[in-house]
Amino acid sequence: MAKILIVDDDEDFVSAVNLLLKSNGFDVAIANSRQEGMEIFDKDNPDLVLLDVMMDEPDDGFVMAQSLKKKAKNIPILMLTNVGQVTGMDFDKDSEMVPVDDFEQKPIMPNILLEKINQLLGK
Amino acid sequence: MQIIDRQKVNEQIRDLKKKYGDDRSALMPILQDLQEIYEYLPDVVMQETAHSLGIHPVEVEGVASFYSFLRTKEKQGKYVIRLCRTISCDLAGKSNVARQLENEMGIKFGETTKDGKFTLEYTNCLGMCDRGPALMINDRLFAKVDPEKASQIIADCRRDFLKSDFPKVVPSDVKKAGPILDHDLKPAEAIKKALSMSRSEIINTIRESGLKGRGGAGFPTAVKWQLAGAAKGKNKYVVCNADEGEPGTFKDRMLLYEHTDFLLDGMTIGAYAIGASKGFIYLRGEYLYMKKYLEEALENRRSEHLLGKNILGKDGFNFDIRIRMGAGAYVCGEETALIESLEGYRGEPRNRPPFPVDTGFQGNPTIVNNVETFIDSALIIVKGSEWFNIHGTEKSKGMKIFSISGDCERPGIYEFPFGIKVSELLKEVGGEDTKAVQIGGASGHCISQKDFNRTIAFEDIGSGGSIIVFGPDTDMLQVARNFLEFFVEESCGQCTPCRDGNPKLLGGIEMLENGRCSFTYLNELKKLCETIQNASKCGLGQSSPNAFLSIVDNFKPEILGRVPEAD
Repeated sequence: MAKILIVDDDEDFVSAVNLLLKSNGFDVAIANSRQEGMEIFDKDNPDLVLLDVMMDEPDDGFVMAQSLKKKAKNIPILMLTNVGQVTGMDFDKDSEMVPVDDFEQKPIMPNILLEKINQLLGK
Repeated sequence: MQIIDRQKVNEQIRDLKKKYGDDRSALMPILQDLQEIYEYLPDVVMQETAHSLGIHPVEVEGVASFYSFLRTKEKQGKYVIRLCRTISCDLAGKSNVARQLENEMGIKFGETTKDGKFTLEYTNCLGMCDRGPALMINDRLFAKVDPEKASQIIADCRRDFLKSDFPKVVPSDVKKAGPILDHDLKPAEAIKKALSMSRSEIINTIRESGLKGRGGAGFPTAVKWQLAGAAKGKNKYVVCNADEGEPGTFKDRMLLYEHTDFLLDGMTIGAYAIGASKGFIYLRGEYLYMKKYLEEALENRRSEHLLGKNILGKDGFNFDIRIRMGAGAYVCGEETALIESLEGYRGEPRNRPPFPVDTGFQGNPTIVNNVETFIDSALIIVKGSEWFNIHGTEKSKGMKIFSISGDCERPGIYEFPFGIKVSELLKEVGGEDTKAVQIGGASGHCISQKDFNRTIAFEDIGSGGSIIVFGPDTDMLQVARNFLEFFVEESCGQCTPCRDGNPKLLGGIEMLENGRCSFTYLNELKKLCETIQNASKCGLGQSSPNAFLSIVDNFKPEILGRVPEAD
């Protein structure tokens, strides 16, 4: 069973995705901040990380993605954010500053999210 | 009336477009140069500029009329005398100099002599607060002016033999240097180190140092750089905010002169980190005399491959810096207003979001940082984050450079760690009998003796570096009046609470002075302050009532002593 770490400070989003993933047979770990996310990552060795951008700091997601890729280059990261809607900012993945495997805007349809996750897990 | 040859104007504009570019962002420097030629901006000059840039003439007039250093209505005198009216110069005897100047020339402030020789104006803060009263004649500065010296200066102008107090540079007045001002780093050392690091490593080093913007707002520098670095966009920009306009601040004047290389190193490192290829130094109009010096510094760096293509042999790292002059608008110190000004518009702050890190200069990702922030960044890259963050407090890391002026024995530039107590600072500067301290300039807070144990830090009393000391005889209502006159003059006028609220507060000060302000009205004014703070969209408006509120709250006996019995 693949283990997915959700790092996001939006509790409603986290509980909805948690429900979706569990009901589809995934094991789920949850963190609400970058620091907590790094601790759980070290402890639980997830197979994939769902990562928000703006948490305690506006760039927490980018910083965490950079740290994760240094630690475990092959762990897929799916960045999920509504930063574009909230701030008008336009980001995308790039190998240096946003080193994630895929970048999606929230809200995201459950089937698309599952499809992306399965794709990144190589299923 | 001067006859202006339209064809000649067009030729001049064509030449200026070659120098500054042919898009709207060239408007300000073109107008500034045309004003140099015609001594003001006649209608025909503005019309031809508009046609040449493909914009409506009204747009050009709108821009020209916004900036106090651009003149649209009448020809200015051969010598434009601008006397600083900031509180520090006021305390040092500005009024006597003003009277002397008016008497010498037979005109009032805001007027030009009939022979076209002199224009007399007030200006806000020349950045010479430690050497007041100060005045500027065209691009030359004069410090510690008294009536006798003013008379001599006018006589020199009449003979067309004006000598500057500072033929080359304004000497620094550093009274206390610490790790930022006194180090053994060589120019370009920081760039060499940065180019051996990855972009994210640079930003992480800045993040670990805890560096927050030194302009006053205290936004984490690394977050700004990270967001701009991550933002989509082929053209990214680095802007140095050298529009040091906060009354009582003059540390950037010294940094621009004496730490130029480290500033340019910091900008170059910022460019590398976010992936920018172009940069600007937005230099305040009052520092025009520095422009030539900075241009020479940039030219030297180009010849040393520290600017230009493939910097220091790093393939694909291209970056260059241009200087753009402000034109006497304090609000342009606000980063979005600064960007508007760079783009050739009136310096009116933008709504946020979007933020400059994503939608800055011409819609591109842009970082705007203060002079001191860039210098700190360069030093941190070489010396490491711990070297920086061992100083300061938990939430305000590092050393801070302060401009200290007013009623103290040793005014000047001081480097202290964040978290220093106001009482400790006063001891250092020789202000033991101080009555009040204005921390953070006109937009900051005025504290009384009961608060001298508080600290200067973002979590307590924040400051971009301006500290003005008031002695026991200072009339605090006069201080409040000076600051409010400043905001009435400098409000860009976009937000009604700021545009109309500050004149109301100033009116309240006048009523207080005349003993005609009731308690009820004073309370109404305090409510108005809240409205101005809540309903203005930029830092200028939001902070404009701070001085009024803190003076009314902290000096109640003095203020209320002039209020008639409660109604």
